[in-house]
Amino acid sequence: MRVRSAEFKKRSAETARDPRRQAALQMLYDGLHKGRIAAAAATDNWEELRVKGRAIKWHTIRNLDYYLELLEERVVANGGKVYFANDDAEASEYVMGVARANDVKTVIKSKSMVSEEMGLNEAFEEAGIRPVETDLGEYIIQLANEPPYHLIAPAIHKTREEISDLIQQAAGGPREEDPKDLTKTARRLLREEFRTAEMGVSGVNFAVAETGSIALVTNEGNGRMVTSAPRVHVAIMGMEKVIPSMQDLSTMLRILIRSATGQRISSYVTIVNGPRKAPEEDGPDEFHLVIVNNGRENLLKDPQLREALLCIRCGACLNACPVYRKAGGHAYGWVYPGPIGAVITPVMSGKKRAKDLPFASTLCGACREVCPVSIDLPTLLLRLRSDLAEGKAAPGERSSVLMERLSFKIWRFGMLHASAFGLGGRIASAGMWPISRRGWLRRLPPPFSGWTSSRDFPRIAFRPFRARFRSRGGG
Amino acid sequence: MADRNEFLQMVRDSLGVASGRVIEPDDATAFFEDQSGVSDQAAAVREHADSSRADLLDEMADAAEEIGWVIHRSTSPEDAVAAVTEICRSAGAKSVLRSTHDVFERVPVDAALSAEGMAVSIATREPSDDDAVDLERRLELRERAFDTDVGITGVDYAVAETGTVVINPRQGVSRLVSLTPPMHIAILEAGQVLPSLDELFLLAHDDFQKGAHRGMINLITGPSRTADIEANLVIGVHGPVEVHLVIVG
Ligand code: SF4
Repeated sequence: MRVRSAEFKKRSAETARDPRRQAALQMLYDGLHKGRIAAAAATDNWEELRVKGRAIKWHTIRNLDYYLELLEERVVANGGKVYFANDDAEASEYVMGVARANDVKTVIKSKSMVSEEMGLNEAFEEAGIRPVETDLGEYIIQLANEPPYHLIAPAIHKTREEISDLIQQAAGGPREEDPKDLTKTARRLLREEFRTAEMGVSGVNFAVAETGSIALVTNEGNGRMVTSAPRVHVAIMGMEKVIPSMQDLSTMLRILIRSATGQRISSYVTIVNGPRKAPEEDGPDEFHLVIVNNGRENLLKDPQLREALLCIRCGACLNACPVYRKAGGHAYGWVYPGPIGAVITPVMSGKKRAKDLPFASTLCGACREVCPVSIDLPTLLLRLRSDLAEGKAAPGERSSVLMERLSFKIWRFGMLHASAFGLGGRIASAGMWPISRRGWLRRLPPPFSGWTSSRDFPRIAFRPFRARFRSRGGG
Repeated sequence: MADRNEFLQMVRDSLGVASGRVIEPDDATAFFEDQSGVSDQAAAVREHADSSRADLLDEMADAAEEIGWVIHRSTSPEDAVAAVTEICRSAGAKSVLRSTHDVFERVPVDAALSAEGMAVSIATREPSDDDAVDLERRLELRERAFDTDVGITGVDYAVAETGTVVINPRQGVSRLVSLTPPMHIAILEAGQVLPSLDELFLLAHDDFQKGAHRGMINLITGPSRTADIEANLVIGVHGPVEVHLVIVG
């Protein structure tokens, strides 16, 4: 898919002015973010699980070659096929080859972010094959011909009126606005596709190296349909999705699902161990696992940025991020929005095209706080900013870049010297008081004004978080 | 076309490591645990599931109810047959498809459902050595699964932590019976409940070591659901709209 991240400023400003999109973003916060907080609070050993999940992922990434090779071996032992694809073109070409060999006319797809990277639907259409997204949110945005807005809730920006129009166009018949009726109609339309499609394409939440399995987490049941009804199943994964052992799944599922939706578990967790094993009644005769690089090596080869490959795509950092909640999902211009998107989009796609993204953050740290594998997103963003500031500044931007570099020096000094950080924070807080509204700043004075022209800046709390945390008995 | 050796070499180069090296073990993953201990641990898990059956069943019933299963507790097989029949009757079911889980030997629902005028069919086909014939039979079963009002299955395990029912598809246990009909009834017996996902995946791992694994493991927790339209929770998207858990024991 084309990277449109250079338009971040323009598109985020549009979203910030659009009350419908702002209402949708608020729903994400109220629904998913608060759900996640409650789920974490209700889990006694939550911090322990996070530590463990992070360690499992770090171990795997550090030994990625080993686990990918093992995964390949075990998938093949289960009767499946594995294809390593260096980029989106290679991955698409392979999937098209599988489709052609099986004389496929219709493909049913359950949610796969990697297939969005590849623009797989366009590739299918060019090949004369009809791709049908079956996750309700993905189905809606396919009808609207838009990219996903959110990792977990791809159509959250669409109002029910807009969805009504789209579904009425697809189904004919009377106009419906109740989400229940709309869902029922979509169910009816998609059921015929499930019944007849020759091929299913899915993503992968986790791939288990030791057993050659993939795990899919869904609530609607489309993930099960796609992997059970058609004759051929193709699963597509980014190369970082592997974990070592089947027994690691309990930890990974617990942290993923709570962070994504606040549920203890999703309605369905589907573990696919290759194709159907005769004499099973149903299931695909062919199973293909496509393992994709597509720019991930740029993250992998940098010892610091490598941390972004721990991401399990739960979406929690999006919901927690004040910039995402203003700018919306499309402003990030590619497949992955929010703080994680701001880190991986420029690195995976080449920094120049997405150089605004690392600046689309207030560095407030909310993302790091909610991330189930504790990825230090603010530090990674800072790192990318400093890369850009060092090499890529256009002449006109020079002074602001210098100013920003200076601020980082101060920031870094503050981080290293806790008392100075506290004092600086209090001075800044007092200085911001007259220009803030309900804790948010609409405009910062120069030289910081560039920062707020497209986003609000939270007023720095007068009482630092560290102090509030201590007074609540933490730390 | 990509070359797998080049791909793996790219990963090694990115990490700055050599091939064939020894991996530094890490306790966080179960990967480095003594593999010969897995089957002993699995035996201990089964033993515990059996000896704590009453408590685990209660825990399961609570968790399952919370997540959206409609719970029917019965103390005898006759009660369970009556519960299944009543569920189907009040749903106005005309057709019922069931798996061949061996619980149906103890809870024989067919006659009672037929007596209510429902068409009862069993979700299995006669496997054939002729691939084309076998495929045809499997497709016929798929059609039936899509056209049936109610699917009834036993379960292979349940997980008290999450209110989850686990079904391992195999001959006689179609993947679709618990998926395509708008209503699913699962019959759970005492002794089948595991405390948590940890035990479930340990047993799954044990199956792999013994070569007893099959094509899929299905974890099912409540009805199908979505929140994709303005974050409204709607029950019943592609999977069943209504799910019942009939507990025997
Ligand atoms: S970076 Fe962390 S919080 Fe964000 S999507 Fe990835 S795992 Fe979730």
